[in-house]
Amino acid sequence: MRDATFGQYYPSKSFVHRLDPRTKILFLIVYIVAIFLAKDFYALGACALVFVFIAAFSGVPLKSLLRSVKGILLLLLFMTVLNLFFYSEGKPLYDARWDFLEITDKAVYHTVFLAVRLFLLVLGSSILTLTTTPVSLADGIESLLTPLKLIRFPVHELALIMSIALRFIPILMDETARIMNAQKARGADFESGGIIKRIKAIVPILIPLLISAFRRADELGDAMDARCYSGSKVRTKYKKLTFGWRDIIAWVIGLILLAGVILLKIFRLPIFYFF
Amino acid sequence: MEAIKFENVHFSYKSKEEAAKDAVFEEDGAFALNGVDLTVEEGEFVAVLGHNGSGKSTLARLTNGLLTPTEGEITVLGLDAKDSKKIFDLRKQVGIVFQNPDNQTVASIVEDDIAFGPENVGIKREEIGERIDFALQAVGMEQFRHATPNRLSGGQKQRIAIAGVLALKPRIMILDEATAMLDPRGRKEVMDVVLRLNREEKITVLLITHFPEEAMLADRAIVMHKGRIVMQGKPADVLAKEEELKKYSLALPRALRVCRGLSAGGVKTQDSMAAEDVANDIVSSLKTNPKISVIPQKKGAGTGLECLEDENPDVGRVLCENLSYVYNEKSPFATYALNGVNLEIKSGDFFGIIGHTGSGKSTFVQHLNALLKTPSAEKKYRPQRVKKGAPIPPKTVLTVNGFDLTNKKTDFRALRSKVGMVFQYPEYQLFAETVFDDVAFGLKNFNGKLTKEEIETAVRDAIEMVGLRYEDVKKSSPFELSGGQKRRVAIAGVIVTKPEILVLDEPAAGLDPLGKEELMSLLHKIHSDWCKTVIIVSHDMEEIAENCNRAAIFAEGKIVSVGSPKALFENVEGMESLGLDVPFTARLSKALAEKGVVIDSDYTVADFVEKLLVFAKMQGAGTDSTEGGAENA
Repeated sequence: MRDATFGQYYPSKSFVHRLDPRTKILFLIVYIVAIFLAKDFYALGACALVFVFIAAFSGVPLKSLLRSVKGILLLLLFMTVLNLFFYSEGKPLYDARWDFLEITDKAVYHTVFLAVRLFLLVLGSSILTLTTTPVSLADGIESLLTPLKLIRFPVHELALIMSIALRFIPILMDETARIMNAQKARGADFESGGIIKRIKAIVPILIPLLISAFRRADELGDAMDARCYSGSKVRTKYKKLTFGWRDIIAWVIGLILLAGVILLKIFRLPIFYFF
Repeated sequence: MEAIKFENVHFSYKSKEEAAKDAVFEEDGAFALNGVDLTVEEGEFVAVLGHNGSGKSTLARLTNGLLTPTEGEITVLGLDAKDSKKIFDLRKQVGIVFQNPDNQTVASIVEDDIAFGPENVGIKREEIGERIDFALQAVGMEQFRHATPNRLSGGQKQRIAIAGVLALKPRIMILDEATAMLDPRGRKEVMDVVLRLNREEKITVLLITHFPEEAMLADRAIVMHKGRIVMQGKPADVLAKEEELKKYSLALPRALRVCRGLSAGGVKTQDSMAAEDVANDIVSSLKTNPKISVIPQKKGAGTGLECLEDENPDVGRVLCENLSYVYNEKSPFATYALNGVNLEIKSGDFFGIIGHTGSGKSTFVQHLNALLKTPSAEKKYRPQRVKKGAPIPPKTVLTVNGFDLTNKKTDFRALRSKVGMVFQYPEYQLFAETVFDDVAFGLKNFNGKLTKEEIETAVRDAIEMVGLRYEDVKKSSPFELSGGQKRRVAIAGVIVTKPEILVLDEPAAGLDPLGKEELMSLLHKIHSDWCKTVIIVSHDMEEIAENCNRAAIFAEGKIVSVGSPKALFENVEGMESLGLDVPFTARLSKALAEKGVVIDSDYTVADFVEKLLVFAKMQGAGTDSTEGGAENA
């Protein structure tokens, strides 16, 4: 865990990895909008094709991709149950004694549709986090938010906070492990007992951790002051994100897809109803 | 030109009125700085010494405007440090490197972090790139430009911190105990860089340190005490004034203690920290047939305790055979932290564990009270069937204080109450509202059935054992105490269960020299009155030589050698090939042996001095019997 590339990042030098983070973020937004605009399986199928296309160029193995879906399985189950029983339009599939146990054909269709949509959403987002380090993700977000400076939104401060947070997560994780070990050596027990006992057991970890975080913040503040930090307007930026030829290709593909979706939406082009 | 000029500078962390009010009651206490006059010339290298709380850090912070003086004038390179409009011009000129390498880096990539300073003052992109090149080259870290700081060693992290400061092209660099948290290897890395910057880039250096070896490198040393500069001069002269140093809670470096001890006994030796010079002095002094008087030296308590025969031999004993530990097993990143360790620590030992960061010593120590377990001690463990004909893996044995740590049925909590573990910087684990509650924490965890009186007695005993006054501290918050006191409270919180074995990871780290000595004598007291066996992990070879009766050296997950410190340090080349230091007395003994003077001591300062004086006397008796005889009579 002693790495800035914690989280999901899967190191590789694939086409998608080398894209500018802004391209990836914007592409993801377009993709999500398309998924929400899709009203039937054909449209969703088109989105799925796009996803497969991108995934193929991401260099991320299927296993890592699917792992990201694991986290939402419970949510998916919960949603399925709710939908199946609470969607009351359409023909009942069987004769239930109580109304609320009734399942209609439309409910099944609707549930499956929602599940597929959610799947595609999560898979698409995980492509972004799998191929982009948290640091460059933060850079990308900062750059995309720059126009908000006009309405005095503190973009630079937000970016600095993100960057420092990313830097200190592994340090604080190490520290937590150390404090836990120290309290364990003094007989603390974090693994047994009821919920109240367990919450109480956290206090001897949490307080030293908080104190340490404040101490670190204080020292970091001094170190930043000493290195002339003032947050002023004269501040320059060493790293500049630049678009490359890969980004142009990605943009062209993205725009074509976007246009396609809009055309389908506006003209309800018949190909959609042929299948 | 003067780089730094302090004129009658006072500073108080309280407001002016409060400070003035307090000053009536306590003469010096209210001010962190109490009338400092100091001039540092450009290009000079000044070392600042002083015990914790003497005002050294305040001095550093005033110099680059992190603090403004309550009274007095500070001029830095012609700039008035009080002028808030020019504060950034000042800070550009004066870089500070702080103690904790983790807490001065803002970015997750080295080059981004170095760019932080130049970005702040609005330097153009292209030039920032050049400055990163320059800074990384100056600290010799070019190949780490795209690395992430968390992966670097302590010394490398501090070099990156120096690079971050250098990127602003300062004329003055202040190191505020920047080497205190590093191991000897890291310390050397940093000091090499600092020296080079001073010599080649002509940067003025203000080095705040506890290490006399570092102070010796400076052009001038100043000693601070209670917010005043009390001594000043050539480092060798300042560090040699034993009486004065003692007055200011500082100690004579061990090398000089040897010289003084010998001179007092008749072998005239110039003060020096170079073993070769001292050896030459001794040899030439011996040739003059000096009058020798063997002064019995005050010895430290540093020897093992004999195990009484009627006691259970398991108590206080550690037996370890074939212990291995793999991080990230079954993955391509699998690394052996321990690789077949065999070690016996006998009951009654004051045992030292030596090794670099990453040598496996921390992993080993964590096994001793089952914070890390052998695979067979894990709850999920099922014995695997061994295929016929396959080689049977060597059996792992780990028995600590009579507990079998390879068996998952062992009562690990009972073990932990018998094997106390004090981690590095243990004061950072304090959490309770009062000292009493914090010390009682472990006791209550291990035994919920104790009566109030029993708990009170045990806590009182533990607090008094570590040298604090129970009635004074029991109700105060642990966070109000001084650094040294906090550490004592943390140790009390471990020994309160009366463990048979006490393990301490770098117990003296970060303390000033006097604090270190006090802590070591506290450990000896605990060892003789309370815990059967004491095990310390330490980087400080002098500490090992002075205090332990046996020690083991770890390297790359294995034990390289075990034995008395004398046996280990005799092999100077062997130690140096592992990148480890040897005590001054061992280096001196080697230099002397090459000149034909063989001194057989245990390498503690006291024993070495005594043995050498005895040798001198014998030699005197041999070559000139009349004089020797007269002396004897």
